[in-house]
Amino acid sequence: MEQTKTLKLVPELSDEKLKGLYQQMWLIRYFDEQVDQFFAKGLIHGTTHLAVGQEATAAGACALLSDEDKITSTHRGHGHSIAKGGRVDKMMAELFGRTTGYCKGKGGSMHIADLDKGNLGAMGIVGGGIPLAVGSALTAHMKKLDYVTVCFFGDGASNEGSFHEAVNMASIWDLPVVFFCENNQYGMSGNVSEMTNVEHIADRSAAYGIPGVVVDGNDIIEVINATYEATERARRGEGPTLIEAKTYRWKGHSKSDAKKYRTREEEKDWRDNRDPIKRFKEDLLEAGIATEDELETIKQAAKQEMDEAVEFAQNSPMPSLDELLTDVYA
Amino acid sequence: MREITYLEAVREAMSIEMRKNNDVFLMGEDIGVYGGAFGVSRGMIEEFGPERIRNTPISEAGIAGAAVGSALTGMRPIMELQFSDFITIALDQIVNQAAKLRYMYGGKGKVPMVVRTPSGSGTGAAAQHSQSLEAWVTHIPGLKVVQPSTAYDAKGLLKAAMDDDNPVIFYEHKLLYKTSSEVPEEEYSIPLGKADVKREGTDITIVATAIMVHKALEAAAELEKEGISVEVVDPRTLVPLDTETIIESVAKTGHLVVVHEAVKRGGFGGEIASMIAESEAFDYLDAPIKRLGGVETPIPYNPELEKAAIPQVPDIVNAVKETLTKKAVAK
Amino acid sequence: MLKEVFMPKLSSTMEVGTLLEWFKEEGESVEVGEPLFEIMTDKINIEVESYDEGILLKKYYDVEDEIPVNEIVAFIGESNDKAPDTPPAAGNVEQSEEEVVAEEVVSQEEVTTSEEFNGNVRATPAARRVARENNLSIATVQGTGENGRIHKQDVVDELNTKSSKLVTPLAGKIAADQGIDTGSIQGTGARGKVVKQDVLGQQTSSVQETVELERIKLKGLRKAVADKMLQSASSIPHVTLTTDVDMSKAIEVRKALLPTIEAQTGYRVSYTEIIMKATACVLKNHPRVNASLIDNEIVMNQAINLGLAVAVEDGLIVPSVPNVDKAGLAELTTVSKELGAKARNNKLTPDEMRGSTFTISNLGMYAIDGFTPIINAPETAILGVGRIVEKAVVIEHVVEVRPMMVLSLSFDHRAIDGAPAAAFLTELKERLENPWTLLV
Repeated sequence: MEQTKTLKLVPELSDEKLKGLYQQMWLIRYFDEQVDQFFAKGLIHGTTHLAVGQEATAAGACALLSDEDKITSTHRGHGHSIAKGGRVDKMMAELFGRTTGYCKGKGGSMHIADLDKGNLGAMGIVGGGIPLAVGSALTAHMKKLDYVTVCFFGDGASNEGSFHEAVNMASIWDLPVVFFCENNQYGMSGNVSEMTNVEHIADRSAAYGIPGVVVDGNDIIEVINATYEATERARRGEGPTLIEAKTYRWKGHSKSDAKKYRTREEEKDWRDNRDPIKRFKEDLLEAGIATEDELETIKQAAKQEMDEAVEFAQNSPMPSLDELLTDVYA
Repeated sequence: MREITYLEAVREAMSIEMRKNNDVFLMGEDIGVYGGAFGVSRGMIEEFGPERIRNTPISEAGIAGAAVGSALTGMRPIMELQFSDFITIALDQIVNQAAKLRYMYGGKGKVPMVVRTPSGSGTGAAAQHSQSLEAWVTHIPGLKVVQPSTAYDAKGLLKAAMDDDNPVIFYEHKLLYKTSSEVPEEEYSIPLGKADVKREGTDITIVATAIMVHKALEAAAELEKEGISVEVVDPRTLVPLDTETIIESVAKTGHLVVVHEAVKRGGFGGEIASMIAESEAFDYLDAPIKRLGGVETPIPYNPELEKAAIPQVPDIVNAVKETLTKKAVAK
Repeated sequence: MLKEVFMPKLSSTMEVGTLLEWFKEEGESVEVGEPLFEIMTDKINIEVESYDEGILLKKYYDVEDEIPVNEIVAFIGESNDKAPDTPPAAGNVEQSEEEVVAEEVVSQEEVTTSEEFNGNVRATPAARRVARENNLSIATVQGTGENGRIHKQDVVDELNTKSSKLVTPLAGKIAADQGIDTGSIQGTGARGKVVKQDVLGQQTSSVQETVELERIKLKGLRKAVADKMLQSASSIPHVTLTTDVDMSKAIEVRKALLPTIEAQTGYRVSYTEIIMKATACVLKNHPRVNASLIDNEIVMNQAINLGLAVAVEDGLIVPSVPNVDKAGLAELTTVSKELGAKARNNKLTPDEMRGSTFTISNLGMYAIDGFTPIINAPETAILGVGRIVEKAVVIEHVVEVRPMMVLSLSFDHRAIDGAPAAAFLTELKERLENPWTLLV
């Protein structure tokens, strides 16, 4: 296992692209904070899983993906959707259960999919999307298509049988898939150190004969570099890579989580010292890619986009009851 | 017309389709040079190669998930699940992903995959390799469920299943693999949701599935000697179910016996009986509906016990006579 | 513990009792011997008393219900006892061995009739549909399936029976001429055959359709009398013989005995008692006329018990005067008067209505000469008594005026032939014309 630690970008990215990523990270944060508030006010029903604090993994892993490339997402998937080019207005409309939502109000927070943008969808079953990503990679392999599939999953899912079956199958067939583990330290309440006996989730790659990479998931540059190398390897037909991005979710597991399994001090440490957006801002300022004012404008643009998304969602129509029976069969 | 076996009919349907459509491929355990646990894919790897006759690790959940993912992205996979009992391991992918993706996504995407799987008892394989669990999957909206009883039906129904844009669970009864019937060489499709009246009659309707179709036909022949005219209806597909044909038959005969190998409790026979009770055929029923199904035990190993665990021809004959008590006594 | 209250069998011919009134409500306490309810049998009204004490937990029948003998009518028990919602099958009562056998036969029959479950008739959906389509009450159909389940064929059979209704040729012609559907007419002939009168009645009722006629339901005693009369008239081949009796001497005898008997008993002797005495004496010589016909057997009765038809309000009751041949006129007068009064006051006990072997029906208080009385089955003959009226009769070539009375004897031709019946009536006539022979 090699540990990549560089402040330098391996792929070449334009300043505009980097500033765009900065805006995307704010959009992800604003989206989930907004959702958090709506749930608290009872404006949205059901449940939701927020990725505040994990913006760098989603944005970084998808930074270099085209619309042809695929991802599979998880229950904590709003960030993945935004990073893969999803529109926040259609996402928010989905959470409001409106016809203009990504799933016409039938899927909700946990099942946002945008096949045109290569988002194969969020899966509510932990680990459920991992074999599915292998199937997507199998299609690319058999049809000799150039796309790669990035499979997002959490530290918890790496204990599911489906993870091991899928990684093994992808390995033996050298499929173009990147297994991207967002290790946010907790599978619901279970701390990763209590639930696995390896130091890194990435260590498990050894069992399947594929590379395993550990990165700081709150450093978007590291995430971009690692994903770039893994996708390039996949496109070359050399098979999958297991990336583990260490990160932290600031919020609870879902909307009703008292977070008794961790301390306020731990949360404060991650917020104050390892905020992925703050770090990227410092990088951009240090590298002279953008000024403080420019970045503030970008941030405000993200806020603006979010506000418009909320307005769009709230003004969208509810589905008619006829919709209940449609879309069961193709 | 030439006769081929049920097993050959299944293989032929796949082969014809794979020659035409490169998106179709077969994936499963030991389906390569081994030819599959029951020999269904024997010879196929030689024709289509290991890419399309894709031998997998023993990973039912992984195979099922890979089938779902490839179907969602443009392939038309056929998954061979070595024994239908193993569906327990693959069910998350089949029930939570395959069946629901399209609906959850608001009508986007489709999952055109076929899960072919051998089911049923009679091979001495005991409790974990002999079950008939089809009722489980009929309960899941988004899935289609097929149970062919003859070689002819198997070929035509598999073609329809492969053409379908939805996940289809295709049950092949192990004891039927060696049975033969006339099967055209060319390609043909039997629409899903079309029952087949396997024998016409006027006194009583037997709705039977899979191997029980043959037992019902045997029983009907025996009952004919006593002047009882039995109509045997084979639904062929449980989802979608051809309620019209069944209702019509029951309205005609006024008597219904439902027979399946699966355990009677919670079996699909209950669904058929309920459907009739809710239908206009209810008013034509002239006796209580009778269900025959497996006894409420795991399938035992000992051959005599194994036989006793599922309905046999004399059971069907008796059930018919009990249902027709009056007539039987009168004649 | 639950104690069953059942329909008592109060006479050998009693099969059902009609519930007339409940004296207790569910939940009320009951003492031993307290009257629970009143019933009407084929002979009498009677109050049924409780054999047990406790609380009346459950009543299964309502007023006017006809309840088979031995059927459980109610349960008595402790307040914490739970009586079943539907009455359990009868049979837990003490029975003699013979009765048990009879019960079994009955319960086997019941299996083939349409059993009710929770008040619902057991029938297949198809049977119900066919019945519904033909406006036939499913409850009227006899089920031949398991547990008496009514199948479609049963309904079809019932419909066929109805449609192949028996119609006399004349009735059929009239009906056809008038455009009347004989299928809708209730036939009054044998086996429900539609006769001319039925069709004409139909015409009348068609004409009078707009008039609201009072309709009295056949129930209680009226129903019992109706059933008994229909049964007797339709199943017994009746032959009626009549003869004129010169009552001159009998009138003299009555006049002579009247003060004596009245002084002794307080009752005035009537011709009825004299006729009874004469009849009993003659019956002794003609035991066949005193016989009963039961189940294809002629039972030669030892005792001579005379039934006395008594008219009561909307009905007819026949108390039995026992051993008339052994009783003197004073005793007969007392017994007859007392029984008559009890009958009119509804106070007869079952014993007082049991065991008659020959019945006398006296219409002499009306302007009736002769009539054709209907036999009180299972007896084999009945005597009808007309008025005593002065008539011109020829006696030894001379026309004389004499008090004459017509006797009408109806007999069951299955048990008695014409000659012996005639011999009996002839001897009775002679005895009444020469009443002193009764002293012999």
